[in-house]
Order: sequence, then C-alpha cells, then structure tokens
Amino acid sequence: MPTEVIMPKVDMDMASGKLAVWHVAEGEAVKKGAALFDIETDKAAMEVEAPASGILRHILANPGVDVPVGSPVAYIYAEGEAIGPAPVAAPPALAEPDAAKPAAEPEAVEAAALPLAGAADEAPRATPVARRLAREGGIELAALAGTGPKGRIQRSDVEAEIERRKTPVAAPAPVPAPAPAAPAYVMDWTPQAGDLHVTTRKGNGVPLVMVHGFAADSAGWTPLERALPRDLPLIRIDLPSHGRSPLRRIAGFADLAKALVQTFDRIAEGPVHLLGHSLGGALSLALADIRPRQIKTLSLIAPAGLGPEIDGAALNGIARASTADSLAPWLKRLTARPEGISHDFAKAAMLSRLDPALRSAQQELAESLFPDGVQAFDLTAALSRVTAPTLMVWGRDDHILPWKQALAAPGEVALHLMRGVGHVPHMEDPEAVAALIGRHLRP
Amino acid sequence: MNAQTHISQPETKTREMSYAEAIRDAMAIALERDPTVILMGEDIGTYGGAFQVTGDLVERFGKDRVMDTPISELGGAGVAVGAALTGLKPIYEFQFSDFAALAMEQIVNQAAKLRYMLGGEAAVPVVFRMPSGSGTGAAAQHSQSFEAWFGHVPGLKVVQPSTPADAKGLLLAALADPDPVIVFEHKLLYKMKGEVPEGYYTTPIGKAAVVRQGKDVTIVASAIMVHRALEAAAKLAKEGIEAEVIDLRSVRPIDRETIIASVKKTGKLLCVYEGVRTLGVGAEISALIAESDAFDYLDAPIQRLGGAEAPIPYNPDLERAAVPQAAGIEDVARKLARGQV
Repeated sequence: MPTEVIMPKVDMDMASGKLAVWHVAEGEAVKKGAALFDIETDKAAMEVEAPASGILRHILANPGVDVPVGSPVAYIYAEGEAIGPAPVAAPPALAEPDAAKPAAEPEAVEAAALPLAGAADEAPRATPVARRLAREGGIELAALAGTGPKGRIQRSDVEAEIERRKTPVAAPAPVPAPAPAAPAYVMDWTPQAGDLHVTTRKGNGVPLVMVHGFAADSAGWTPLERALPRDLPLIRIDLPSHGRSPLRRIAGFADLAKALVQTFDRIAEGPVHLLGHSLGGALSLALADIRPRQIKTLSLIAPAGLGPEIDGAALNGIARASTADSLAPWLKRLTARPEGISHDFAKAAMLSRLDPALRSAQQELAESLFPDGVQAFDLTAALSRVTAPTLMVWGRDDHILPWKQALAAPGEVALHLMRGVGHVPHMEDPEAVAALIGRHLRP
Repeated sequence: MNAQTHISQPETKTREMSYAEAIRDAMAIALERDPTVILMGEDIGTYGGAFQVTGDLVERFGKDRVMDTPISELGGAGVAVGAALTGLKPIYEFQFSDFAALAMEQIVNQAAKLRYMLGGEAAVPVVFRMPSGSGTGAAAQHSQSFEAWFGHVPGLKVVQPSTPADAKGLLLAALADPDPVIVFEHKLLYKMKGEVPEGYYTTPIGKAAVVRQGKDVTIVASAIMVHRALEAAAKLAKEGIEAEVIDLRSVRPIDRETIIASVKKTGKLLCVYEGVRTLGVGAEISALIAESDAFDYLDAPIQRLGGAEAPIPYNPDLERAAVPQAAGIEDVARKLARGQV
C-alpha cells in the first residue's frame, strides 16, 4: 500500500492549506523526513516532510491550490511496489474559488499512464532486510545485482550500493592509443648475481610487469595470464625471499622497494605497464613514484599501504605454516569462497613453501613490514602523486586488507570493487580482472 | 561436560554439582521449606528413581512424602492432579517422558483445563518431571522429545533446563507456579556438572538466556542442543563468524522479546531442537519471527534443524544421525552467516 501524503493541520484553526511548491517531482525518489512540499497558511509558510521513503506518485494538488486539511495531496510508493490507479483528488477547499476547476486531473492522468515499473512478475528477489534498506535509501532493487543464492539481493548488496553512491567512481582516465604496429617485445636480459628472479612471456607491444604479493610468487599469476590478451608480453618478478629469488634479509619496506627498483632498472628498456597485488601493489606504487616516466599505466589489485589495518594473523599464519593442514585455514581467509580451498589445493600450495629457510625469511619479512599486525608503511601520498592512468581492483569480501582502503584513492583512479571476491581477485575471478586490466592497458 | 550458568538470582555461594544432583537439591529444599510438597513416581523411593535423581530423598523425608506409585502412569498422574486440587504440591516423576503418553488424559484434559473449567476457583499446582531425549541407546519408545506436544496445550507451562543451575532454578520456579508445569530433563545432561547456587532460588519461567553473544547469526536451541550450538559457535568463532546462542529454557510461554531482539541484530535465524522437525518448537519460533517486526531485518531464509521424520533408531550411528549434532549446526550456521542459504 502506498503511503498517503496529506495536507497537515499546522494551526489550531486551520481548515485548509495552500500548497506553495513541491520540492520533489512526480516519479522522483524521496526519503522519509526530507522536505516534500511547502504550504502557506494565513499565518505562516512552512515545510512539510515526507512521511515515508519511496517514489512520489499521483500528485493531486498543484502549487497554488488550497487543499482541505487531511486530504491526500500525493502518494509515496515503496521501491518496487506496483503503481495503482491514480486516485481521485479531494474536492478543493470551497473557500478558494480558483480551485474550482479540478487542477489535479491532468496530473492524475499522467500518473496513471506511467509504466508499471516493478510489476509483481518481474520483482527482484531480495531478503526482507535488503528490501527495507533499499526502501529507506531510495534505491531501486531492480538496479541491483544480488550476490546471494540464485542472485538473491542481500543486505550486503544494498549496503554496497549505498556506499557506492556515497563514493563517486571515477571513469578510467584516457590513455593514448598504442602504436598500431608495435614491434614484438623480446627481452634481452642476462640475470646477474643478486638480481631478483624474473620470468617473461613474449608478445607484442608494451610489456606488463607483474609484482606478486606477500608469501606468493610469480606462479600465482597463471590464472590471470591465461585470461589476459595472448599477445601481451609479460615480465614477472619474484620478490626477495619469494619464489625463486634469493633469500635476503630485508630491513623494511624501503629496503624491499629498493631491491625491486634495482632489478626493474636493469630489465625495463622503456615504459611498461605495471601490475601489483597486495604487497606487490604497494611496491608497484612505490616504483611508480620513484620511476614515474617508466610507468605507462598502473594496475593495483588490493594494494597494501593504503591504511593501517591488515590481517596480521593470516600473514604470519601463512608464513609459518609448515604443513598443508596448517596452511589451508589461512588460505581460506584469502578468498570469499573458502570452500574452494580443498586439501589438495593446500597441498599444492605447500609444495612451493617446503623450504624452511624460505618460510623463516618470510616470517622475518612479515614482522618487519607488519609489526604488531599493522601496515607500517603508507603509500597514500605516493598514490596521490601517480600520474600514470591507474586502475584499482578490490574484492568486497577481502578479509586481509579491507576494501574501504581503496577509498584513499584520488578521483582519477578507476575503482572496481568486486562483489563475492576476496583478497585474490586475479585468482577468484581471473576473467573479470583480465578484462578490466586488458581494457586499461589497451583501451 | 561443563557449561556456563545463567541464573536469575545468583546466591553468593555456589557449589559444583551434576544436573541430577541439582534437581535432587531443589526437591530437598522444597520438601524442607514447604510441608505441602510431595514426590510421587515409579521407583522413586527405595530404588532412587530410574535415573537415580530422587536418590536418598525417601530416607531423608520418609515414605509419606516420597511415594512409590504403581506401574500406571495414568493412575499416578491422576493421583497427583487430585492431590494438587486439594492443596498439595506434588512432583510426579515419569520414568521416561515417552510414558506421559499413557497419562495424557490427566495432563491435558484435567490438569491443564480445571482452572478454566472451574472459573478460576481451583488450581492444579502439579509438577511433572519428564526425563527426555535421545542418545542413551534406549530406542524408539524411550528417547522421544515431546516439548511441542505439551507446549501446544493452553494451561500448561513447559520448561527445558540445559544446565544444573537452571535445572534447580526452573524446578523451584515450577513448584512456585500455581499451575501445572512440565519439566523436561534431558537424560544426557544428568551427569553434566556445573556451578549451582546454594539454597533457594528460582529461574524465571518464560525467560530465555543469551548464552553467547554474536552478531552474525542467531541460534535458538534448548536442552542438550544448547551445548551443541555452543560447540558449533566456538568453532565458527575461529573463522570469524560470531554466532549468538540463545538457550530457550521455556517452550511455553516462549520468550519472544529475547529472540526478536537477537534476530533484529543478526538478521539470520537457525532453530535447533531435538523434537521432530515438522510442527516442532522451531516452527513456532520461525513463525513468531515471520510475524514480528524482526521480519524486516531478516537477511536469509530462517533455518530449522530438528529431529528426523522417523522413530529414534536403536543403532547408535543412526540414533546420532536422527537428531541435530554440533557439526550439522556449524554447517548450517556457517552457510547462513556467509549468505549462502
């Protein structure tokens, strides 16, 4: 049932009130308590608040019309509620001769002609609390994609939409089109002692340099690589004490960034696209800050360094785990769908972590980078200085780094806050992430 | 097994005792402080009760107040109802709640009705103690959970203590109540130990207890299911899921306010009860939420875990499978909390 909006009695001896102006137009969303229309009485003008949230329909009284107290002047429909036939306007107050012609009639006809948006047969599936929050927030349920079973809209979906509306999402900045006939990219590089381990994939055009996250390695990019354009040349760097790079004592974030810059300087022949995940995202930001002219575009997946919060227990747990059984619970923390982390998955992940020296080096690194479970380095200033077009992808179910840290990004950064995805979007939904990055690199 | 205690009027001094000892303590206190209190039941005297709950009370209070009754539940319950009508406060023990089926006439048609039919001029302050539930290998006729049966009858009150402290407090509250009260004692809890306040106190009938606070999902459970729900909640906590566990304590009257407040907080409800799932206590709780203003706070379909649609089997594996266990509760609560239901 729509909520009736009536001409209120604002004065003891008031029999009717003149509607001065509508603040909300027919068909617009209105929030309970917001100014809906002004009335003028003999003594004063005053604002009347909306009695409910929803969509304003069937305006029965035009400005200037005198309406008897208690008569309806419009109706507010809940989001998705089927629009009923236009009601008949109350007879205008007799005292006002101007109102003799039923001014409300054309409005009523118009209202009746409106399409029956949100008719019952196409009503979105949503939980009661999602419906209530949408109603209160003036959000069309039909516009939302549900992340619940069978696409059911849940509380988190509406809350995310409310959050999204609070945060304007910047469109990706325009990127100059690449030269039409880019030469095949072949890296001519001979590793030297002390260099980080680098693997490459040949292709055409500007290469994408990939920097993995803490306790990961270049092999973790495999699902994304499969989904990225096939001819995109790739350069994967293993961080110190990770993958096949040498074990190294690292004093802190700056020390780690220095090691990356050194290797980067030796491999980068010209500007590159840069991609980093988590800790690798923070390092990519630092690299982009130190070598701005070398970076053509920057892509960050759940980057570290944009806020103090981090799940320190998970980082230490992963670094310490010496068996698949002790590793699996922490791996589950990385994703929004922990049921996908099977024992076999954990066993396979453990294979690359069998070296106790590597594990202990990573533990030391975790303690140095994240003392007391806090991100001890801050790259928000670096992010604000980045001039390369920047894309940020974050899973809304990230349990390691809260996605709200993405909001530290300046307006030029394109934010993609993915639903139903955790801390490793490039593994959980590689196709979607590859599509975003692909468009970002080659618009 | 140890449990948190939730007591309405905690005395300063407590003592560790088992659930069965706490019930015996309550009966001893009642016998001492009120000369109209009598105990009746099959083998509750010299033998000490089918589950040794009355124990030595016959030696302490004599055969006039601790009476062995013949093997006729209908007869014994009838005498108890008659005694209550004439001003005594009898506690009648059934050896198994299953045998209450033999005494339905006295419980449902007499005890529950007489205050109404006599215009409020008579009352039946009788207490029926009913050892209840499965898990003892006693099979189909000695393992049932009849809370919903008796909870369906206006005029009766039905309680299900889950801890020694509540077992004592609810039994004393049942005795203090002017109308018939049925106390379901879970047989698997008889040996459970817990801190129990000394002396006389009551646990209010009709008041549930929030035994674990949480924000992600509400689990409403009763009797042994409270402990299984707490076990599940402890495991879920390690995954970062905070389950709120409510010990229902009373089936009739049911504590709507506590359940509604919790569901408004969590938006997710799981009802866990040992009685047969269909038309059970969980159906009532689900309905009261669906009818209440908590409806607008629900973020997932309400879930119920109850007893299987079958008699309780003798085979111990099947017996376990026939009623909710901690792992199953954990599984459903996790799915609810994660928005996967």
